[in-house]
Amino acid sequence: MIAAPARLALAASVVLYFCPSLPNADAQQSATPSQQQEPVTKPAPAAPAELPNAPAPAPAEPSLSDLGFTQDQTQADPKLQALLKKRTEMLKIHQRLGLITAAPMVAALITGPMAKAKGKNGQPIQEPTQANLDFHAALGGATTALYFSTAYFAIRAPRVPGTHKHGAIRMHEALAFIHGPGMILTPILGIMAYNQESAGEKVHGIASAHGAVAVVTTAAYGASIIAVSWPIHLKFWEK
Amino acid sequence: MRFLSLFVLPFFALPAVAQPDAQWTLMQSTLSYHMSHPMHEVDGTSHAAKGKGTCHEGQCDFLIAAPVKSFDSGDTNRDLHMLETTRGAQFPMVVVRTRFPQADTASTTLYVDLEVQFAGQTAHYQHIPFERTAQGNMVHIVGTIPATCSDFKIDRPSFLTVPIKNEIPVKVDMTWHSN
Repeated sequence: MIAAPARLALAASVVLYFCPSLPNADAQQSATPSQQQEPVTKPAPAAPAELPNAPAPAPAEPSLSDLGFTQDQTQADPKLQALLKKRTEMLKIHQRLGLITAAPMVAALITGPMAKAKGKNGQPIQEPTQANLDFHAALGGATTALYFSTAYFAIRAPRVPGTHKHGAIRMHEALAFIHGPGMILTPILGIMAYNQESAGEKVHGIASAHGAVAVVTTAAYGASIIAVSWPIHLKFWEK
Repeated sequence: MRFLSLFVLPFFALPAVAQPDAQWTLMQSTLSYHMSHPMHEVDGTSHAAKGKGTCHEGQCDFLIAAPVKSFDSGDTNRDLHMLETTRGAQFPMVVVRTRFPQADTASTTLYVDLEVQFAGQTAHYQHIPFERTAQGNMVHIVGTIPATCSDFKIDRPSFLTVPIKNEIPVKVDMTWHSN
């Protein structure tokens, strides 16, 4: 059995533990008359921080504004999103057209030697046949049209302000300074060569560089595709 | 009287052993997502995350956030594409929230439930393990969030017409300071 004072003490301790916010007798005694007269429902006029011995306020759940990000970093920018969307769409077309362009480009390179005149200059040209020459010219024409369409989508894709380019894209763009002029020069030299062969002449002068320029252009173009794909991890056999 | 002490003293002792309120600040962080493509293995890393944690009445609330555009994969073109595909201009922050018992802050392995806001979507990850090592007031946390593109309704980007894998696990390496 517990004695009555002990039971009282136990009950008091339980109440104090679970209801620590209940005012105790000491606090009531130390309160000023004006505080005692205030209605119970009215909130205390003084903030807890203003009271000298008040406990520190409970820390609030952290919010994004507490972290110190700038407004620029946290604010939505629908215009930028639209710009990025347009950019991505254009570059997707650029990528697809670029891969398609590679096919006639390689085919033109393969058919190039078949379109080359054989025999000595001044003698009637037996090879190539007109069909070979026309086929090579058609492949060259298709390559040129596709190449400049591909380039258009890369050049016209919107730039994102404040972006400093780094990584594989720089090599990809740098190689355009080789295959770009190459793709202007190759068809011009090709037309010159075609005209010379059509006139029964063996290709001569600057037109004779048509083949070499085409090889360099194709190599730079291929390197440009590899550069933007680098580093390549071939593991198609893995799921 | 001894009988009384047995019952009464624990009530007074309990508040004394309860853990005090604590505030945590993220000092250093490395968040990196991993993207798999048959031709590519890419990691995009951000060191720009900021975070804060508060522990009160035995519960801890943590908030970590990083700008989506701060992730660098080593290629501007890829990063801009990532920004577009994750709607990063419209929803510029990736925000992670978690709540766990304060007692867990002393464990070597923390299992936490995460709420991740990213790309305008909210995903929940349950019971994610994080390894914890403490050194003075500093605590080092390492773990991986098993995120996927579909969790955030992200259309998987493709390269050479082949899409990336759905899984984009995010490695988390953070150093927190207790104030």
